[in-house]
Amino acid sequence: MKKLPLTGIRVADFTWIGAGSFTTKLLADFGAEVIKIESIERLDPLRGSRPYKDGIPGINRSGYFSDRNSSKQSIRLNLKHSKGQALARRLIETSDVVANNFTPGIMEKFGLGYDDVIKFKSNIIYLSMSMQGSKGPDHDYLGFGFTIGALTGLQALSGLPDREPAGTGTNFPDHIPNPCHAAFATLAALKYRRETGCGQYIDVAQTEPTIALLGPAMLDYSANGNVIHRQGNRDSSATPHGVYPCDGDDRWIAISVMDNDAWSALVDVLGRPDSLAKNVYRTAKGRQQHWEDIDKAIGAQSRQRSAEELMQALQHRGVAAGAVRDAQDVMRSDEQLSYRKHWVPLQHPEMGEAIYNAPPFRLSNGSATIETPRVPAPLLGQHTDEVCRNIFELTDDEIAQLTAEGVLK
Amino acid sequence: MFRNNEYGNHPDMPAGALRGVKVLDMSGLAGQYCGKMFADLGADVILIEPLRGSKVRSEGPFLDERVHPEYSLPFIYFNAGKRSVCIDLDHADGQEVFLDLVAKADVLIESEKPGVMASRALGYEELSKRKPDLIMTSITPFGQSGPYAQYECSDLVALAMGGFLSLGGYPDSQPIAAYGNQAYLAASQFAAVASMIALLSAADECRGTHIDVSIQECVVMAMENAIQFYDLEGTVRKRDAGVQRLAGMGVFKCVDGEVYLMAGGISSSRFWENTVNWLVESGIDAANVLRDSKWQNQDFLATVEAKATFAEIFGPFARSRTKDTLYHEGQSRRIPICPINTTKDVLENRQLNHRGFFVELLHQESGKSLTVPGAPYQLAKTPWRIARPSPKTGQHTSEILAELGYDSAAQRALIKTGAIA
Repeated sequence: MKKLPLTGIRVADFTWIGAGSFTTKLLADFGAEVIKIESIERLDPLRGSRPYKDGIPGINRSGYFSDRNSSKQSIRLNLKHSKGQALARRLIETSDVVANNFTPGIMEKFGLGYDDVIKFKSNIIYLSMSMQGSKGPDHDYLGFGFTIGALTGLQALSGLPDREPAGTGTNFPDHIPNPCHAAFATLAALKYRRETGCGQYIDVAQTEPTIALLGPAMLDYSANGNVIHRQGNRDSSATPHGVYPCDGDDRWIAISVMDNDAWSALVDVLGRPDSLAKNVYRTAKGRQQHWEDIDKAIGAQSRQRSAEELMQALQHRGVAAGAVRDAQDVMRSDEQLSYRKHWVPLQHPEMGEAIYNAPPFRLSNGSATIETPRVPAPLLGQHTDEVCRNIFELTDDEIAQLTAEGVLK
Repeated sequence: MFRNNEYGNHPDMPAGALRGVKVLDMSGLAGQYCGKMFADLGADVILIEPLRGSKVRSEGPFLDERVHPEYSLPFIYFNAGKRSVCIDLDHADGQEVFLDLVAKADVLIESEKPGVMASRALGYEELSKRKPDLIMTSITPFGQSGPYAQYECSDLVALAMGGFLSLGGYPDSQPIAAYGNQAYLAASQFAAVASMIALLSAADECRGTHIDVSIQECVVMAMENAIQFYDLEGTVRKRDAGVQRLAGMGVFKCVDGEVYLMAGGISSSRFWENTVNWLVESGIDAANVLRDSKWQNQDFLATVEAKATFAEIFGPFARSRTKDTLYHEGQSRRIPICPINTTKDVLENRQLNHRGFFVELLHQESGKSLTVPGAPYQLAKTPWRIARPSPKTGQHTSEILAELGYDSAAQRALIKTGAIA
């Protein structure tokens, strides 16, 4: 499978920071030609965010930026300049998709709103990913993954019942719900356009995909009047179900006991201590009643074992158990991720070798599997000349003139 | 706008973007949201259940707290828009029916353990002989092969093995999972994207694809910049709930709950200045100390001293206001601040209601109308919609078999042998 599946699709990419950039990366890694419009005047904040290669700051050295922008091209285009806007329009004329995740009004300010674009590119697929959608009383509110996690209910639902809401510890909606939903909608619109010739406007409010994922919790309130409160790692359908300390510094294991067989296997593997080998614990009901005692008793045993060894012993007996991996573990010691070649080293012109995530799925035709990404994140404006020559069909003199006028900065 | 409380084809409502796409969904918790994404954009999604019904039907919470296969809220929510057929895939005659379905399908979503489909002679190799351009999307905890391929898993275990769990929770607690089967849902979402990529490419080249989705690997994608922090700077990120991440970034208590504030730490933003002005103009003179240039330095913002100073100033301000006041006042000053909403708050949110986000879904068994999250994306020409209520167990078995050409005598025979229900 040499040719990537989205080859031939061009994206004029105005996205930045987290969710937008990851959306277009999903397309770029599978062959779409994604041209990221950047400017030193309006730098993607991720280019200015740690971590940096060797800890040395630089607009081409951020690992956060690189991982979200593999397989893309970058051009410098000053959208505050009318000639910059004209070039953006030319890029859009040749594109299948326009993507942005600005607050509503910014693209319009550049003369690049949907209503402007359909005048010269009637079949465009135009993806907007503002925080709360293009219209409504709070449409111009701003935020990031953390505040979106708060607004959607995810943060209040995650954490210990008697502590402040913990959330996920990350800008979670930026990394999975928003990019996956936006990419899916865009791909569906591309399929529809292929069949009908029609493009369309796609409005993603970056709160709504995460709320859609929380459907059962929303229903528990809307239908039953029950406001679910966070309950740590407990689960109503399995006991024990938790994270237990292991030998070492900040080492833990996650264990889910789904049935009575798994329970008796767990008790065996933990050496059948009196604290666990109780008759009353042999039923799900008994375990649920005594979950706190059981959690303490498991912890007393597990802290004497290595997480890795205990995981293997439990898995050998068919118990769902997994060592809590940290960043170093998933990269360096997880045999499965390494078997799947999840970590892709790519040579970046300034950073040298850096690690990228492969997409978390493999496409194969039964024999050959697509390997991607193949190209690292671009330097700021790395492809400006190339795009000016090949897409804008400008001469070297014209490029020099535009550079002098500050259009390509 | 179109409302979704009328099923079937609203005369004025255009078709979905995926009309004509045929999807078979035989997955469980890890895949049913993927099937839902297809159904809500207009694909014909058939849920294949075992004779006794999908295992998801035993997942709580339950409607009216009634533990019953037709009352599981996760089942109702994730399967609205699909039709249900009950087939025993371990029965030879059931397998024949399944192959007939595959012959007409574009996408098959499954989440059996690796090797199970092949042991039924229903693996990708066999199915692609029957339907050469089939897209088979297989969702498993760790992937189709490899050292952990046969490991037992749960959502919590996947969150642990994918590293995301290490970032959740308080520094002095055990790691704490994100709520709501986020590992399974991550797999569903990536599976949907992967299936759409394959579908676009299949239209081009008329070829089939086997998609191997690893739930663990999907979870890794949630690790934000933690991987790069280790790769490039050699540091391992830890969980940090309950404390400000940087001065001006974190959870603050208020009259009726908490808010999340991101005043500090976003490069080249005016959020800090806006926040200081807000405080000073609200009569908090002490906030003027925050104007010193050192507050622009992220290394300083990371210090205990900076966090304590900020908390002393912003804490009392927040505690005397409601989350709604803080949200709207802060946002009107271009500050990223949001209430930490409960599910009740979310259902009552004015912006979501203005957008008509929540829609009504009929529950067939009770006749109740349920309020559920609606369109996660608005496609202007091909609106998202829930086309039909969540199916009862095997509700469409007869209809679907008839479409395959089984007459009622043939159907009765299959029911008698226990192949279908």
